[in-house]
Amino acid sequence: MENIQNILTKYIYPMLPPHIAQLLMKLPVKLLANVTEIRIRINQPLLLVTGNQDIMVADAGQETNPSQAYRSTRQDLLRIFQVMCKNSVYAFEPELQQGYLTITGGHRVGLAGQAAVIDGTVKTLTHISSLNIRLARSIPDCAKPILPFVIDRINKRIYNALLISPPRCGKTTILRDLIRQLSNGNVDLGISGVQIGLVDERSEIAACENGIPSIDLGPRVDVLDACPKAKGLLMLIRSMAPEVVATDEIGRAEDVAAIQEAIHAGVSVITTVHSRTIHDLYERPYIGELVKHKTFDRYIILSNRLGPGTIEEIYNANHEKIHIYSNEVKVCG
Amino acid sequence: MWLKLVGSIIVIITSTYIGFSLASRYAERPRQIRQLISCLSALKSHINYAAVPLPEALSQCTCGLTGPVADFFHTTSLLLSHSAWLTPQAALTQVLKDSTQLVFNQPERELLASFSATLGSMDRNEQQKSFELIHEQLSRIQQEAETRCEQNVKMYRYLGVCSGLAIVIILV
Repeated sequence: MENIQNILTKYIYPMLPPHIAQLLMKLPVKLLANVTEIRIRINQPLLLVTGNQDIMVADAGQETNPSQAYRSTRQDLLRIFQVMCKNSVYAFEPELQQGYLTITGGHRVGLAGQAAVIDGTVKTLTHISSLNIRLARSIPDCAKPILPFVIDRINKRIYNALLISPPRCGKTTILRDLIRQLSNGNVDLGISGVQIGLVDERSEIAACENGIPSIDLGPRVDVLDACPKAKGLLMLIRSMAPEVVATDEIGRAEDVAAIQEAIHAGVSVITTVHSRTIHDLYERPYIGELVKHKTFDRYIILSNRLGPGTIEEIYNANHEKIHIYSNEVKVCG
Repeated sequence: MWLKLVGSIIVIITSTYIGFSLASRYAERPRQIRQLISCLSALKSHINYAAVPLPEALSQCTCGLTGPVADFFHTTSLLLSHSAWLTPQAALTQVLKDSTQLVFNQPERELLASFSATLGSMDRNEQQKSFELIHEQLSRIQQEAETRCEQNVKMYRYLGVCSGLAIVIILV
């Protein structure tokens, strides 16, 4: 696991105003090690979210109660936003319309503020009032327990797999490691490396800098960075001839159509979706149809019951449980 | 006799130099405005077509140019990269103020200041509009600078040589 101190020093502190960075630097490393999110809201206490609790920080840089906690100002948020979008709002137009930015290192920053709506479409966000910095960590081998279930040894192919969990349960981290392991190959499981096309719409999985992945994804991954999923999947299939295409957080009608097209083109799909159980997915528009039609061969249910990345159950194409985990497998960020 | 001759030559050379350097300022201004227009045009492409973030776009827009205008864009880019909390307007104004090589007059300085106020803070459509506006205004200033250049370059050169000769004649 990449050291949290390294992540904060390299990617997060340079984005924060010096006085906030210094507050965080004074906190004990043990406490920082469990931080998964940093939430900053105007006139509200600065919050560090760990697996199961929120920590407020005093001006002197120690854990405290709400009355003594450091409260972020409008100026703090303005400055953080300016630095994060590199003074270039136009370069982050599509992301801002969806309420997030991805900063170097693949850390996603959720934004809330006032939406500027034109013709019923959110054009951009102004007067940013809340930020949620989600710390991304690559955890080598966290997908190892899943790997045997996504490989079809008989037909020498990769199953179509859907990772299912609510937010903050380690979907992206596990998907990233799954891609890396499939790309590297695994002799024990009888797979040589697989050619993978990755559509990283939010630049979170590969954390590309100028188009080059900054996270190790192995030698056989082609990344289409910041490209809309539906278009990207079809572009990769036509241009790069992958054996597997992967993407994160599907849900729109066009995503579902692209996945169906990929599967019918003979390319395996590995992707993720927000939900709690496989049955909840039936009720979701578009993606519910995919599940009902048994499009996927494997459904992997994740939770944060024993920490983010807890693998709860694995289902086959007929929605029958093929494996139940009772213990925590890995803790992901 | 020799002293007079040497003195006269020095006076003529000095006044000619002053005349030529005043003339070169008039010749340099339209050239720098032309380069500024071409860099801004490239910057517009980097922003509108590829949505390259401002620090990178500013350093790429000089398209191989060298000289004070290219230095102006490179320095602004460096300043924005290293001091990310500076607004584009603050960075641009600071570099403009610090540069001794740029021969821009007040109108183009004011244009750049007002253009940089919205640079980077709007979407691509809005950026395009402000690029079109500054392009139009700079083109007008360039025409005016070229007319002045034609009028003044020859005049200052002749004035330099002639005033040197006149001083020599009066003194001798």
